[in-house]
Amino acid sequence: MAETPKNPASADRREFLLKAGIGAGVAAIGLQTVASLRSLVPNVSYDAPTTVKIGPPGEYPDGLKFLPDERLFVFREGKTFHAISAVCTHLGCTVRAEAMSQPEQATVEGKSLRLTHRFSCPCHGSRYTGDGANVSGPAPKPLAWYHLTLSPDDGQLVVDLAHEVAHDFRLTLA
Amino acid sequence: MATLKALFTRAPGTPTAPGVHPEPLWSYRPRSDREAGDAVVSNLLLHWFPSKVFRPSLDWTYSFWLGTVSAALFLLLIVSGLPLLLLYVPSVERAYQSVKDLEYVVTFGWWIRAVHRISAHLMVVAVALHLVRVFLTGAYKNGVGQGQRREWNWVLGVVMLLLTLFLSFTGYLLPWDQLAFWAVTVGTNIASSIPWVGPTVRELLIGGRTIEQATLIRFYVLHCIMLPGALGVLFAYHMWRVRKDGGLARADHDALSAETRETAPVTTKTYTLLGVARGTAPTVKATSVEAPEQTVNAVPDLVRRAAIVTLGTFALVSILASGIPSPLEEPANPLVTPNPAKAPWYFLWLQEIVTDTTIRIGSFTINGAFLGGVILPGLLIGLLTVWPWLDRSGALSAGRWFPKDRRTQNAVFLAIVFVVLVFTVIGMYLRGPYWNFYWPWEAWPEIPARI
Repeated sequence: MAETPKNPASADRREFLLKAGIGAGVAAIGLQTVASLRSLVPNVSYDAPTTVKIGPPGEYPDGLKFLPDERLFVFREGKTFHAISAVCTHLGCTVRAEAMSQPEQATVEGKSLRLTHRFSCPCHGSRYTGDGANVSGPAPKPLAWYHLTLSPDDGQLVVDLAHEVAHDFRLTLA
Repeated sequence: MATLKALFTRAPGTPTAPGVHPEPLWSYRPRSDREAGDAVVSNLLLHWFPSKVFRPSLDWTYSFWLGTVSAALFLLLIVSGLPLLLLYVPSVERAYQSVKDLEYVVTFGWWIRAVHRISAHLMVVAVALHLVRVFLTGAYKNGVGQGQRREWNWVLGVVMLLLTLFLSFTGYLLPWDQLAFWAVTVGTNIASSIPWVGPTVRELLIGGRTIEQATLIRFYVLHCIMLPGALGVLFAYHMWRVRKDGGLARADHDALSAETRETAPVTTKTYTLLGVARGTAPTVKATSVEAPEQTVNAVPDLVRRAAIVTLGTFALVSILASGIPSPLEEPANPLVTPNPAKAPWYFLWLQEIVTDTTIRIGSFTINGAFLGGVILPGLLIGLLTVWPWLDRSGALSAGRWFPKDRRTQNAVFLAIVFVVLVFTVIGMYLRGPYWNFYWPWEAWPEIPARI
């Protein structure tokens, strides 16, 4: 500061202008930072759609069919269908199904279910029973069950990968 | 030829102004102390060196020159990264093919890739060892100097270690092979185990819900621009702080423990209004690390050793790169998880903890990924960061190996390092399909690759 202003009002003004200048600079940098960071949050998702047609029910054998693209196991027991996610709830690896030598009849959430397989994860060794319940290893949750419907236009099975359902869910065909 | 020589040499006896270095290039062999001091300020590459250094600080067995090794590896990574930058295509359709071309088609491409890969692995090792050395010698402690802030330089160092790990991890994805894809799947899912914000953090990191083009370009830009830039800036700051803190902690230690002695009286000249007053400075008793018999000129003593370490590092990496091939697995396939799927080796101790720490209390489950992947490493990093403020040992125990009053903390630190190493070795060599434990002499069972 070269000279001390004699007038207190002019000192106030200088101080105000200095603070306003610094404030404007901080605001400008702050907003630019916010704008740059916000641009990194995607507005449009190019991920695969969550509602997927997975073929007519007739193509599904009794037992299990694995759909790699959807990372999904689809089970068929006569006319009823249910779908269990193949994504391990620990760290997202794809679990593998092992056929059991002897299918078991179990009651899951009040409904009877024929268990033909069990699942294990190759990454950290989590194990799941045939209804997706986590029994050992680091997996914190059971495997997700997804909602199944029939497409009204061409009668294909439709899975909604964004719609988790309880373990008593069944799609029964007429 | 003669004119060229004239351009780079000075005729003997040519008068020069004080402080002006007369030669366009700096000569390696300074002819006087004055020239040695001038060399430091007149050469761009040397301006970050002091003109004099404390001789014992240069000992091979004090610092093992691990910081210099790390810096040399960083330099090598930048240099070997440049040709890769021209040959690699960061797109999911072409990334794998461009790395494959690099490996099998481009002349010397395999060697450049191997140099880059091996330097990256060695840099993680060198930076970690550097941290271990600084901890064991208590070199983050302040000594005699005014305004020393060695603890802040330690914090900078911890941040630089994290940047090194993140740099390596982002580079891991770029070949877009199975190894890369699943290591990054596991790694980024650890982030999503953080309560509430986890899935958002993961989505921001990989630019969507699945590892796709958005992830590849994010990791690519982080790996090639943002992280090296940040590390470069921090490196410069780290070196500047070493200078401001008076060099290595060892100099302080010796200054504190040295006998005070009389400085030789020197003649003084004072300019007064009435003329020049001549006299003798008073004799003082003091210790000085700048005593002539304790110090050497940075040029050439420090420069020579730094050059030996740098060139030695380059040579070692070049030789290793000629003999150790870089792996390239099948192209990334989100549909098939390899069994077992392993994280990069420096994260395997975490993966091991992640596997072992899922805790069930009744129906309530604490996710092992959160405990082992977030809380535990977070706690360790937090402790490392604040340790200089918790360390209550005396100033004399800084700057030397295994001092008595730091015995307990050094032992605990070494125990933690040992546990990390054991977990790393188990993860690397003793984990087979489904992360089951196998001794090295046990055969892994045959597992069908696909269902």
